[in-house]
Amino acid sequence: MPAERPQKHGIEGRASLLDLMPQQEEAARRRLAELVESVAARRPPTTSFSRLWILGSLQAKVTCAYLAYWLRSRWADADERERLKSETHLKAALELLGTMGYLRGAVMKLGQMLATFPDALPDEFARLLPALHFEAPPMHYAMVREVFLDEFGKEPHELFESFEREAFAAASLGQVHRARLRSGELVAVKIQYPGIARTIEADLKNLRLLMQPMRLGEDWDNVVAKLAEVERVLLAETDYLAEARFAQEVGNSFTPEDDIVIPRVYPDYSTRRVLTTEHLEGVHLEEFLAGNPSQELCDRYTHLLTVATLRALYRTRCLLADPNPGNYIFMPDGRLGLVDFGCTRRLTEEEWQFQCEVEEALLRRDEEEMERLIVKSSLYDSAEQMGRERLELIGTVIRWQLEPWLTDGLFDFGDPDFFRRGMDAMVGVTRKGFMRGMPVHIWTTRFILGARGIVYRLKGRCDFQAIYRRESGRNMAAECAETRRSGRTAHVAMPPPPPGEGRGEGADVGLGE
Amino acid sequence: MRISEQAKQLCRARILEKAAELFAARGFDQTTTRDIALAAGVAAGTMFNYFPSKETMAMTMVNEALARGREEFLTRLEGSESLEEELFLLIGTELRRLRPLRPFLGPVLERSLSPFPRKSVCPEGETARQEHLECVRQIMQRHGFSAPREDVAGTIYWSLYLGILAFWTGDDSENQEASRALIDYAIRTFVQMISGNVQGGPHAR
Ligand SMILES: Nc1ncnc2c1ncn2[C@@H]1O[C@H](COP(=O)(O)OP(=O)(O)O)[C@@H](O)[C@H]1O
Ligand SMILES: [Mg+2]
Repeated sequence: MPAERPQKHGIEGRASLLDLMPQQEEAARRRLAELVESVAARRPPTTSFSRLWILGSLQAKVTCAYLAYWLRSRWADADERERLKSETHLKAALELLGTMGYLRGAVMKLGQMLATFPDALPDEFARLLPALHFEAPPMHYAMVREVFLDEFGKEPHELFESFEREAFAAASLGQVHRARLRSGELVAVKIQYPGIARTIEADLKNLRLLMQPMRLGEDWDNVVAKLAEVERVLLAETDYLAEARFAQEVGNSFTPEDDIVIPRVYPDYSTRRVLTTEHLEGVHLEEFLAGNPSQELCDRYTHLLTVATLRALYRTRCLLADPNPGNYIFMPDGRLGLVDFGCTRRLTEEEWQFQCEVEEALLRRDEEEMERLIVKSSLYDSAEQMGRERLELIGTVIRWQLEPWLTDGLFDFGDPDFFRRGMDAMVGVTRKGFMRGMPVHIWTTRFILGARGIVYRLKGRCDFQAIYRRESGRNMAAECAETRRSGRTAHVAMPPPPPGEGRGEGADVGLGE
Repeated sequence: MRISEQAKQLCRARILEKAAELFAARGFDQTTTRDIALAAGVAAGTMFNYFPSKETMAMTMVNEALARGREEFLTRLEGSESLEEELFLLIGTELRRLRPLRPFLGPVLERSLSPFPRKSVCPEGETARQEHLECVRQIMQRHGFSAPREDVAGTIYWSLYLGILAFWTGDDSENQEASRALIDYAIRTFVQMISGNVQGGPHAR
């Protein structure tokens, strides 16, 4: 929850906004800052709601500034009339953001996220949306009791041995309480704010309506497809039973020796709106770093984090697409805890095949094939149609994302140069508005960015390639030899299919139709 | 021959029970007093001695449910609740008791609780209002708010409450969860208002 801070006013406030905006085009910059300021700083109707419902915090303004900048880049070359028209839409969009109950909290969360990537601009609205963490207003205990009566027909103290009235953590759709089961286990009980799924639906619908007139050029259809994708995953996030299934499935692919803990789910105490899991002791990234951990420990956690995400990807074909650092728990005994499988996106067969093709081409260092795949992932038919500039810029981003796959020995994720190159590449793509691509790549990007952000902050290193080999079951040396022998069509040992479950069962939430 | 008080109570209860069944099955407007008398096995004239109209019947059920809800509310109190929480618990508990009647409540509440001037005020509707507001006054007093009987705060509270009832009656979300959010919001608004924060508390800018 953002703290109530004294607000800067007028010129002063605007000055700080201006600092956040790019340094070119002074007049447009100033006008936008004013616009954003006028919308974001509007006085909330009632004061103590401000914490939950009002877009007034500095973070939210920062976010708006980014958003505005991004939108502005869409019409930088347009003539004055176009520009005015777009500004009207922008204003309406910002005002809408300001009135949407849950998105407001979301906007703040996004601000926090952007703060970890100071130079990363959201390269498109659709990519921005999943970054939004819906944040529900806090529930008092009377509300929690009523929710429990609806969900279980029992009060919390009837269901549990003990139940803490105060939440110990905020969740994007609700909050988390500590409780103890009658059998003695300490558990975390995540409770969803009533009716939030509908609100999300309504908010997204409004947003879509509002974006319609902006018609972001030739890629509009693609934006629509991505919005639909985002909506599906976000709505799946409101079903805690689906989350429980993911947690259990991913959890099954780890053994105690891995030192990676996925909290056990207690189905008897879980419903669509309440999720009860084993409580994990530990701290989040910030607090962990505040304790000045040794390089050795940071490396260890970098290793564990890499194992965890690659295992989920190669064993269950799941992208842990929520980059929120709060989902990783640094446990006092040196183990890594992974909570929150709400935003998990399972790759479809087709997407999985594509992922395999990319990796194969990459490992063979087959530039021609890489180009073909980049063109395909950007939804073009040919390199000519895509255009050289776009091809190069997108290629830079993708190659940066895949760099660890090609590096022998210890990979240093804390290397500022590596990190900056990635950010620069993404900013470059953003500036050009090259946003067309497969909807699933919203999650791939988020997944990579989220994990890279954390290991960057950890300044951690690990032998990425060795982990990749082990987790994917691929033998790269053999693969290269094979390639040399047979030309293009190397055949690679595929990782085993997801355990215990055929395709299209209820568990694949991200794609559930 | 005078029938005993006990027999009267039984008869009254039977009429209400049958009326509730019919309202739920056919809807309030589609049910006639004759249908009810027939189902309850009493003469129309006798039934009239108990209840002058089907509106009275429905509102009697409502008031009984609400009264049970308020009793239960008192037993649920733990003593450490804030004003918002107590009000939330009160409304939540009342509505839970009212839930079985929900399918036919729309037209009933609309007629009996309408805040607009009417030719004939439904006495049971007036009872519902007074009893609920009395309970709210007691809660407010427990939290240090003096609440004179018919003040502005009472009127605003009642408007919010009617809004909640209206929304809840037509709420098609699961367990009426959408109403919960509305109740939360309405109560926060109300408490904010009577706390006088609107003019500018410490957080005002
Ligand atoms: N099993 C758990 N053990 C310890 N902390 C937990 C557990 N589950 C959730 N939390 C805490 O609650 C926060 C929110 O829970 P999370 O599942 O991430 O919610 P959301 O899906 O809304 O992000 C987490 O960041 C974490 O701090
Ligand atoms: Mg989380």
